[in-house]
Amino acid sequence: MRPVYVLGVGAHPWGKFPQKPQLQLAIEALSAALTDARLGWRDLQGLVAASSRFEGGMGWGLHANEVLQAVAESGVPAVNVGGGCAAGGIAVHTAAAMVASGECEVIAALGAERMPKGFIPRPPGCPDDITDTDYLRWVTMGATNPVYWALEARRRMHEFGTTAETFAKASVLMHHNAIANPRARYRAECSVEDVLHSPTVSDPLHLLEICAVSDGAAAVILGSEEQARRLGVPKVAVAGSAVATGQFGDPAVRIPTVSTTVGASAPHTSEVAGAVRHALDRAGMGPGDIDFVELADNTAWHVLAWPEFFGFLEPGQSDWMIEHGQMGIDGKLPVNPSGGFLSFGEATTAQGVLQVCELAWQLRQQAHGRQVPGAKVGLSAVLGLGANGASVVLKA
Amino acid sequence: MVETLEQVPVAEDLFRWSGDGADLVGTRCRGCGAHYFPKSLSCRNPQCEHKAVEEVLMGRRGRLHSYTVQSYRPPALFRMEPWAPYAIGLVELPNGLRVMGMLTGCALFDIRIDMPLELTVEPLYRDESGRDVMTYKFQPTAEGTA
Ligand SMILES: [Zn+2]
Repeated sequence: MRPVYVLGVGAHPWGKFPQKPQLQLAIEALSAALTDARLGWRDLQGLVAASSRFEGGMGWGLHANEVLQAVAESGVPAVNVGGGCAAGGIAVHTAAAMVASGECEVIAALGAERMPKGFIPRPPGCPDDITDTDYLRWVTMGATNPVYWALEARRRMHEFGTTAETFAKASVLMHHNAIANPRARYRAECSVEDVLHSPTVSDPLHLLEICAVSDGAAAVILGSEEQARRLGVPKVAVAGSAVATGQFGDPAVRIPTVSTTVGASAPHTSEVAGAVRHALDRAGMGPGDIDFVELADNTAWHVLAWPEFFGFLEPGQSDWMIEHGQMGIDGKLPVNPSGGFLSFGEATTAQGVLQVCELAWQLRQQAHGRQVPGAKVGLSAVLGLGANGASVVLKA
Repeated sequence: MVETLEQVPVAEDLFRWSGDGADLVGTRCRGCGAHYFPKSLSCRNPQCEHKAVEEVLMGRRGRLHSYTVQSYRPPALFRMEPWAPYAIGLVELPNGLRVMGMLTGCALFDIRIDMPLELTVEPLYRDESGRDVMTYKFQPTAEGTA
């Protein structure tokens, strides 16, 4: 396997864009990434797209072939990957593998999403019976997604004494980081009081501690060492990447299931923990080698829990880190210098690609106003519906 | 004349109830003994090659692992009449399963992690045919842990 480099990154700002079709968001992000790489459409030798289920061509959402047919009918291979919200990370991993194997010299990974209004509807054709847990969770108890995260947050308060103020501070930090990020949707400072006075959605989580849904698109161009040298782009390598699925015995109750079979051996959120471990292994690194992380903060609880689940901190240590500013951009373990999902809102399948864009901007020292000082190695971690996880390690 | 009110479960084959109490309907692996709820097609233990599961009743007693209070009315697929904020618990059963379900019989501010619970079945709403649509819930029990 040969080394893989990031040639260019690009993203459309996150927000609500009812006038822009998903395809246009996709093309704008991909075009920005190509420009960043000093490449044209004719240079792409392949395209991997994270498939959204919400919108797009032939009933299975955005797909790479649709993008190519809209803007460059070059005949290159198109690969469409699923994996819920992890699909963006899976797309980057797949594209990296296609460069590493020698199949492509230059390839793009893409995610673009326009989210439906309000609660996400069930896919058409699902059965109304016990074989569909998404049906069960609604009819038996009305378990919204925040319910699952709130159960985790409440348990954390019980186990570690995490306070409502500490959760609020995690959300305040995410919003603070986003102020300087031109692509973030929410860029206003908020205070602990603002968070705690926002409506309680699922106790103990407040509205400002739960990510909204947004429209957005992001793209990453990967290529061989020879291409990176020829283009003269800043040298950022894919040090490791991995895709993983959930493990038996994982104590996390996954959306949309209503139970879990708890065992002793599996880590919490095992699909992401597994991906992070494999990505680090492939990079020949450990958590101590990582300068900052971009992780999927669907809630303030995720900001605290995930660095512990994945071996960056000891269980319960995140509270101290937040309280002492150590997860901030100048801290010991900067978490989501981009501002994270809480500041962007989740554009599901595009999110995992955006994380990798942020890793690249940080490692090229281009993250103006939110730059992690001297960042050399960054790691992304993303979770997708249906027990999918992905993680990417980039190195300057 | 006393009219007998008809009761129907919110989903078939998920729980059973009678004067004697309520049970969740799940499966147990004939090979490794792992439990699943609702009923599973197969055992999911990657170390287990047996895979065949059989139906079992479970869940009469448990212990509260965590909980949350729903302050917003969930979307329309969920029906509860009259609607009011309510609690959802994550309940640890003696067989190693953790099961989510609504909590009942306890003021929202009296809910405590680790409290012993027992399964019950209560109406959520009355449907257009005048039948009570029932779901499973967990309620505090005075007698020790499960
Ligand atoms: Zn088994």
